[in-house]
Amino acid sequence: MARLLAHEKIQPHWWSKTLAGIFLGLSLSYALVIIFAWYGPGGIDAPAKVQFNMWIISPIWLLIFSFTYMFKTGLKAALYLLGANITAYSLFFFLGWLS
Amino acid sequence: MKIRGDILRTYQSIHTWTGIIAGLVLFIGFYAGSLSMFEDEISLWATPSTHQLSQVPTEDLDSLIDIATSKFDKAQQGFTLNFNENYSPMTWSEEGGGRGLQLDHIVRHATLSNQGELVTQVELSNELGDLIDTLHRTAGIVGKIGHEDIGVLILGIAAILYFLALISGVIFLLPTLTKSFFALRQNKGANRFWLDSHNLVGVISLPFHLIISLTVVVFAFHDALYGGLSVAYGDKPLFERPTKAPTEYSIKQLPGIDTYFNKVSELTDGYEIYSLEFSGLSSKQPSLGIIVFSEQEMMRSNTGDIIYMNPYTLKPTFSSIQLSEEEVYVPYIASFFSLHFGGFGGELGKWVYFIMGLLGAFLFYSGNLLWLEKRRKKQVKQSKSNRFMASLTIGICLGSILSVVCTLLMSKWLYIFDAQINLSYITCYYIVFFAAVLYSFARGAARSAIHIQQALFVVCVFIPLTTILANTVPSLTLWSVDNYSGYIVEFIALGFAGIFYYGFLKTKQRAFHGEPNSIWSLPVDSPSLAVTKKIAIEQN
Repeated sequence: MARLLAHEKIQPHWWSKTLAGIFLGLSLSYALVIIFAWYGPGGIDAPAKVQFNMWIISPIWLLIFSFTYMFKTGLKAALYLLGANITAYSLFFFLGWLS
Repeated sequence: MKIRGDILRTYQSIHTWTGIIAGLVLFIGFYAGSLSMFEDEISLWATPSTHQLSQVPTEDLDSLIDIATSKFDKAQQGFTLNFNENYSPMTWSEEGGGRGLQLDHIVRHATLSNQGELVTQVELSNELGDLIDTLHRTAGIVGKIGHEDIGVLILGIAAILYFLALISGVIFLLPTLTKSFFALRQNKGANRFWLDSHNLVGVISLPFHLIISLTVVVFAFHDALYGGLSVAYGDKPLFERPTKAPTEYSIKQLPGIDTYFNKVSELTDGYEIYSLEFSGLSSKQPSLGIIVFSEQEMMRSNTGDIIYMNPYTLKPTFSSIQLSEEEVYVPYIASFFSLHFGGFGGELGKWVYFIMGLLGAFLFYSGNLLWLEKRRKKQVKQSKSNRFMASLTIGICLGSILSVVCTLLMSKWLYIFDAQINLSYITCYYIVFFAAVLYSFARGAARSAIHIQQALFVVCVFIPLTTILANTVPSLTLWSVDNYSGYIVEFIALGFAGIFYYGFLKTKQRAFHGEPNSIWSLPVDSPSLAVTKKIAIEQN
């Protein structure tokens, strides 16, 4: 493996990546869970599904959070996660408009 | 597997810092969690057997309930029926009671004599098992914000860091995983041995750790998570509101006990009933919690599954078991709980979880030692931050275990001297804990590690000795121990005595014969030791 130049390496950017992972990661996780809650198996009214939905928020969030540090810079982390958020929430509202 | 160096370094930093921040509270959470696998056994062990009244045949229960509720108003509100022969057949709260930890819960026990007359006695309920469970959930951190325990929230945050530590630990271990997974290199120095065992334990118990970290986050923050979810639910309520009956029920309408046995065998398959807990019997919202148990099932916790129903109409209001075809999500939710609480695999499953919990505690302890080792300088006196962290690690980890063990040892003596048992437990825990932390800072990590382990060994040995004494001296016979679960505490105490004695010897060895430029090294005061120490210095 060729040695990476300084600017090609992952930058630490601890604060910005951590904040992006916590907030944007959590909102992305919520977006995925509420799509599942309304349009996943059983729909919104399936018995005990609300508990299941609550349970899966934090595993998804923490997985996203722990891989946020793979982004090269804090700014990239924030931008990509923001993009994913916009896509997921758009999908949620689009599905709501369809039904 | 090859991974870029910058990724490895990034995740190594994450692993180090999340681990060192969260490690100490998680250590307490884990070892106390191991003990809480035997929560009921510990409470039963601590309670004098004279507190429990003898069981009655199931067909006599209806008349027991009739007589007890006609004589005692409190029993008309609610009572518990136990079907385990170690407990009184019927109990109810005289004072205190309700959810959560109750230090002054006064319970009336009731049974029938051979002539069919009501026999009752009032006892302060022993909460030792519950206190250990509270220690497990809060790491002993007291205080509340609103109705949330501060300790629970802190452990919730620690669990988030712990999840990051797990993922990052796996990432930066991947390149060397296949090469040195089962390698326990003893000949490459103590440091290497600690690292190898830390990695080995971490990798083999990874699924357990992922589950524990994720469930703890949910347990700590479920209210907030539901709060966020309710936004997306809009007008839909998250939960159905419990319905109230138009008029108050009366205990006279209560059906016979066999009705509930029939209902449970109709609803479930292969479960046996452990206890029936009636509450709010003379109200518009009566409730019956049925604890059921089956070793074949993935139960909500190691103490069983629970079904709530209206005791008059027998309509279920909540169940941790799937009761109908539509409830497809219930088994998943049950399995999340079950995987945290070890509600499967029966007695063996319990012991496996007990050992996994202890291995988890070992993971955090060894992680802290590795952190210290990494920052070690080639000088006799180590840096201030290193000395601080070493004292903190020894004081908190070993000190917390010592305080629990001392509390267990005190338990029987407290009864003999008639102290307020639950408050005394708490006092004992915190006195010993803070004394150990102070001692560790005052005398340094190396010396206090030796002394606290010595103390642990002695206290652990005295637990079974107390039991033998209590069983043989006639004036002290508050306990009759004749079943297997009654000896679990003694058995575990002896096991720990062995471990701590070995630890004590090894720590002493390291202090006087090990690497001299270390936080664990002690100056030698006898001439013969000084010679070996000098040789050790020359060899380095």
